[in-house]
Amino acid sequence: MGQVDLPPAIEPTESLDVEDLNPDKEPTVVLSDAPSQEVVFAVRDLDVYYGTFRAVRDVNIDVHRNEITAFIGPSGCGKTTVLRCFNRMNDLIETARVDGSIQYHGVDLYDQAVNAVEVRRRIGMVFQKPNPFPKSIYDNVAYGPKLVGRKGNMDDIVEKALHRAALWDEVKDRLKASGLGLSGGQQQRLCIARAIANDPEVLLMDEPCSALDPIATARIEDLMQEIKDDYTIIIVTHNMQQAARVSDRTAFFTTEVNSESDTRTGLLVECDSTDKMFSNPSDERTENYVTGRFG
Amino acid sequence: MSSHPLEPRRHGFREELDQLRLQVELMGVRVDENLERMREVLQSGNVPLATLATEADNEIDAMNVSLTERCYLLLSRESPVASDLRFIVSVLRIVSELERIGDLALRVVKLAPNHDLLARHEVLFDILVTISEQAVESYRVALRAWSAQDLQLATELATQNRNLDLYYERLVSELQRLDGLDAVRIAMAAFAAGRSLERIADHSAIIGARLRYLITGEPAHLAAEVR
Repeated sequence: MGQVDLPPAIEPTESLDVEDLNPDKEPTVVLSDAPSQEVVFAVRDLDVYYGTFRAVRDVNIDVHRNEITAFIGPSGCGKTTVLRCFNRMNDLIETARVDGSIQYHGVDLYDQAVNAVEVRRRIGMVFQKPNPFPKSIYDNVAYGPKLVGRKGNMDDIVEKALHRAALWDEVKDRLKASGLGLSGGQQQRLCIARAIANDPEVLLMDEPCSALDPIATARIEDLMQEIKDDYTIIIVTHNMQQAARVSDRTAFFTTEVNSESDTRTGLLVECDSTDKMFSNPSDERTENYVTGRFG
Repeated sequence: MSSHPLEPRRHGFREELDQLRLQVELMGVRVDENLERMREVLQSGNVPLATLATEADNEIDAMNVSLTERCYLLLSRESPVASDLRFIVSVLRIVSELERIGDLALRVVKLAPNHDLLARHEVLFDILVTISEQAVESYRVALRAWSAQDLQLATELATQNRNLDLYYERLVSELQRLDGLDAVRIAMAAFAAGRSLERIADHSAIIGARLRYLITGEPAHLAAEVR
């Protein structure tokens, strides 16, 4: 089986032609007329299973370029499970299975011929707890680019990534110091720099501020606003004020009980502009959750 | 498969919102009582009742301050969103409207010393009494709409064509025809009363418009407040 190439990362003003990757599809998809509405991920009828247990069902959502999309919902509703589908992290779980489709610029991410490593380079992940490698600050950032053989001056790549993560000024004089010696907030920004150094198009953030104090949280939120012109961001957060502050769109997930097995399955209730979701959501379940009546 | 019964939360906050709704209603009743005094003073010139109305307005002003402070506290403490946020910001707007209606009622009440002068001109006096009845009726619809959180009543208030406007035009027209020694004094008193009564109906309509927005969440309904 031949390997399917992912589409090249594109500049906002460029058109994306996926004809080569979808030879049966006509006409060519040109999306540059409405850059703000350009769809990076189109998720259709997504179900995620762990063994025979269906953890999430019927997720349909579009993620738009250069926007921040927030996933909110009660614990166990499948936010993180869905997030991990976007860079095929669930592949690493033997029993996990994904049904339905996730199109990334028109390419099926779960096509067996798609290279999962390349997917994870294009679609970076920042985790709940800062997890720098037990290496120097410099090596933490350079690790990914070296691994994938990224071309260019490594010092420049590291400096640029640290600048983009708003960390350069704080660490430029101690690049050889251990990343573990940084504060929690700095470590999280180091992890963002590490993701950025791989030159991704998308950043997935799984509760990136849950282990941080309010000041460090504010810095990460500011950073997200600064970098969203260059990246598409999806953030899972339990902090609804954070979702309201930082995101352009919000998706609300909830859970339902499988009465026979007494297990819970997550489902997407509603996805809309964040302004709408927090001022006048369409679905009563969303209203009940964001106002805190139920959850 | 059934929807998961999520646990009800924020009981205290919900109770405070319910209390807030009742407190606004109570303030509305106080304003209503003063509007009744206003109507009585307009018709009879009852000066002791005018004094009572002035004292009652101080209580209305205090309620406005108290409820406004409570809204600010809930905003800062609870970070409300969606219908809860609309409710609190609407309460802020509505208590301000109620306070304003109370002030306008007091303006009419303070014309009590001019009662005999106004009553001498029968046509003018009848028009003023009619306008006052219609203004009070508009206000009572607003109060009923708030009490029941009734979208239909709120919509009627916000969109109705008012007979009151025709009477107000008639009043102005009558004032322009006045002559005689007391013409200026009568005109000033009658115009002040008529204008205040007309504004009471306007503020009642704003309450309807705001309630409509609160219930529907449609930003377009806010436009009715600034007509």
